[in-house]
Amino acid sequence: MSEEFEPKIIAFVCTYCTYAGADLAGTSRLKYAPNVRMIRLPCTGRISPMFILKALQKGADGILVSGCHPGDCHFTHGNFHARRRWTVFRSLLNFVGIPQERVWFSWISAAEGNKFAETINKMTEEIRKLGPFKQYQQLIEEMETPAKV
Amino acid sequence: MAKILAKNKLNDVIAKLKSAGIDLFGPVRDDKHSWYGPVEEAGQLALDLILTDRTLKELFFPQTEPLLKFEIKKQQVDMQEMSPPNRQRVIFAVRPCDAAGIAIDDALFGWDYKDSYWFKRRNDSTIVSIACTAADEFCLCTSLKLSPDSTKGSDILLWPTKDGKGWRVEEITDKGKEFLGRINELLEDSEDQTAAVANVPVKFDLDKVVAWLAEPANFDSSFWREISRRCIGCGACTFLCPTCHCFDIQDEGNTYHGVRQKNWDSCSFAMFTMHTSGHNPRPTQMSRWRQRIMHKFNYYPGKFQANSCSGCGRCTRQCPVDMGIVETLREISKSV
Amino acid sequence: MGALEILKDRAKQLLTAGEVKMVIGYGRGSTADRRRAIFISDEAQADKLVLDKSCEDNLAGYLVREGLLQDGKKVAIFLSPAGIRSVNVLAAEDQLNPDQVVILGFEIKGDQVSALDGHHVNGFIELVGQIKKQGLSKDREELIAKLEKMTPPERFEFWRAQFSKCLKCYACRQGCPMCYCRRCIVDRNQPQWINTSPHSMGNFEWNIVRAFHLAGRCVGCGNCERACPVGIPLMLLNQQMAAEVLSAFDHFAGMNSTQEPVLASFKREDPDTFIL
Repeated sequence: MSEEFEPKIIAFVCTYCTYAGADLAGTSRLKYAPNVRMIRLPCTGRISPMFILKALQKGADGILVSGCHPGDCHFTHGNFHARRRWTVFRSLLNFVGIPQERVWFSWISAAEGNKFAETINKMTEEIRKLGPFKQYQQLIEEMETPAKV
Repeated sequence: MAKILAKNKLNDVIAKLKSAGIDLFGPVRDDKHSWYGPVEEAGQLALDLILTDRTLKELFFPQTEPLLKFEIKKQQVDMQEMSPPNRQRVIFAVRPCDAAGIAIDDALFGWDYKDSYWFKRRNDSTIVSIACTAADEFCLCTSLKLSPDSTKGSDILLWPTKDGKGWRVEEITDKGKEFLGRINELLEDSEDQTAAVANVPVKFDLDKVVAWLAEPANFDSSFWREISRRCIGCGACTFLCPTCHCFDIQDEGNTYHGVRQKNWDSCSFAMFTMHTSGHNPRPTQMSRWRQRIMHKFNYYPGKFQANSCSGCGRCTRQCPVDMGIVETLREISKSV
Repeated sequence: MGALEILKDRAKQLLTAGEVKMVIGYGRGSTADRRRAIFISDEAQADKLVLDKSCEDNLAGYLVREGLLQDGKKVAIFLSPAGIRSVNVLAAEDQLNPDQVVILGFEIKGDQVSALDGHHVNGFIELVGQIKKQGLSKDREELIAKLEKMTPPERFEFWRAQFSKCLKCYACRQGCPMCYCRRCIVDRNQPQWINTSPHSMGNFEWNIVRAFHLAGRCVGCGNCERACPVGIPLMLLNQQMAAEVLSAFDHFAGMNSTQEPVLASFKREDPDTFIL
């Protein structure tokens, strides 16, 4: 019996907005896909592109990076810096062939429990359609393969 | 009467070896770059190169190699050793400087700890070298008391014929004899003349250099700073050297699961001798350059009676800032 | 007078007057077409200087290596416009004091070399502004266009094949004036973000991270690609990043010595159409 592919989604979220929004989704009993693993940072300004690379290195099929809307950052301008970083890193990932459909960015506030649940659900379905990130998994497997020569 | 291997018989050689489960490796290239790689068909061999950009050592000492996999469980640690593959191979069209490099490194890899990864591959390999009929301005084998037709490290030496049809075959070792035995019917008898071996002018007096380096007072000479001013401390020369052999062991994984890797390392890197305390006994590029020269022409010969250099010239050819060992050794030789 | 004579005279004057402790320039290399960096501290040695179309390497990196400028003294250095931009970036990032750098500027156009007026980075602001207007280099437009037409999996395979050649020799990093971190990210293991091993994963991560760390800082001097012993087209990545910061933030690296680094600053109107 074949198992349906369950995407591994890693979400890097800020404490004061998106994490709180996710919390609200929970307390409102909104259903969202269990494929997501949340990693809470104080602010999106803390999110380094290294995190995204590490998630891919460990086998993530999709990555969400989410924080406060511009102007609403708990630390005033962390998300403005994050926004620039994401613009640049996204372009680089696309250029080296990591599909943009696998790395999502969003602004989700503490009041947007609905938006959080919807985003996670939508993302899980789209990544499920894309399938596992085989090309990257080949790189991972190569690390553990004995020398060929 | 000598035996000749004709170029047009190479595909038959490959087929014969394949039927005995033996792979063929040789110089291959793409539009920018050349290396020693697996060869399925004779047309893939890049036989017109003076020498490949990358060295033969990669086939014995890969730039990265997993040694073992580990799984950390509650009561025990499970380990699975990972070894080089069980494949015999013939490495064809090797340059004598590359073959000599392998022989020089045998001493180190078999010193106080016999490196099974190196020797498994050594035992599985037959090295068939081709004497050089062309050299460029960076070649310096003769300065190291080797030559374009050196047999050091080779199991067979091939001498290009004047008419370019193929090579005269010279058997060097028992392994070479075994290889010839396999392909005997593909060889022809011939009186063909062999082409002249390349002329590689001697660039410096090696004995003078070694004597100067052995003199303790010269260790602190201002010469070292002057000669290495432009060195940027990359690892290009060490990684493209047939004899450089330093490596680093890295564990990659997480709390429960991982792989132990053996990776190339370079004494040119600033962090190479960084201690956990934060002290670095070679904190300047000058001290690292000096170490490189001393290691090759003083420390290594002190232990193993061989200079750790086969004169291929890649260090100078590939250096981004036009360094390489030739200038340093020449300057020392001139000053003595 | 040719560019070499003009700049050589200037160099000699600076040394004789004791205004600079050293002149960093180009000398003859080990073959006819090679040039190398030379470090002159005495006007008698100034005749070793050469200047021609083969003087491609950006020498600015030597200004921040091994504490050259820590004694507060001045150094004169032969720099092309890319090198001058490098000094601007290094100054803007507090890695050197531009008042300590006396610029012997030159420009290579085809086979000709011309000397530039000006001796301090502030004297080249207009020149760099003009370079920005000319737009980014047309180098390899064909290859970039080909890559952009590919699907992501095809691009991934292209880069995987390129990076599989990588030896992790770090010639690219060492040759780059902007890679001055005392401990590079790849040398850190608390935690280890990037695998140091030169397998495909380690190489992929290393080259991506270096390109990212240079976004908005790379001046396109080409030292990295020339230094790479295995022929990886590194400049493609850097060009892509430079194009992105120019189109998204109107940022061009090295405009002047106080320019805000592109990823350490922001505008409220920065684009975010891709953010849900």
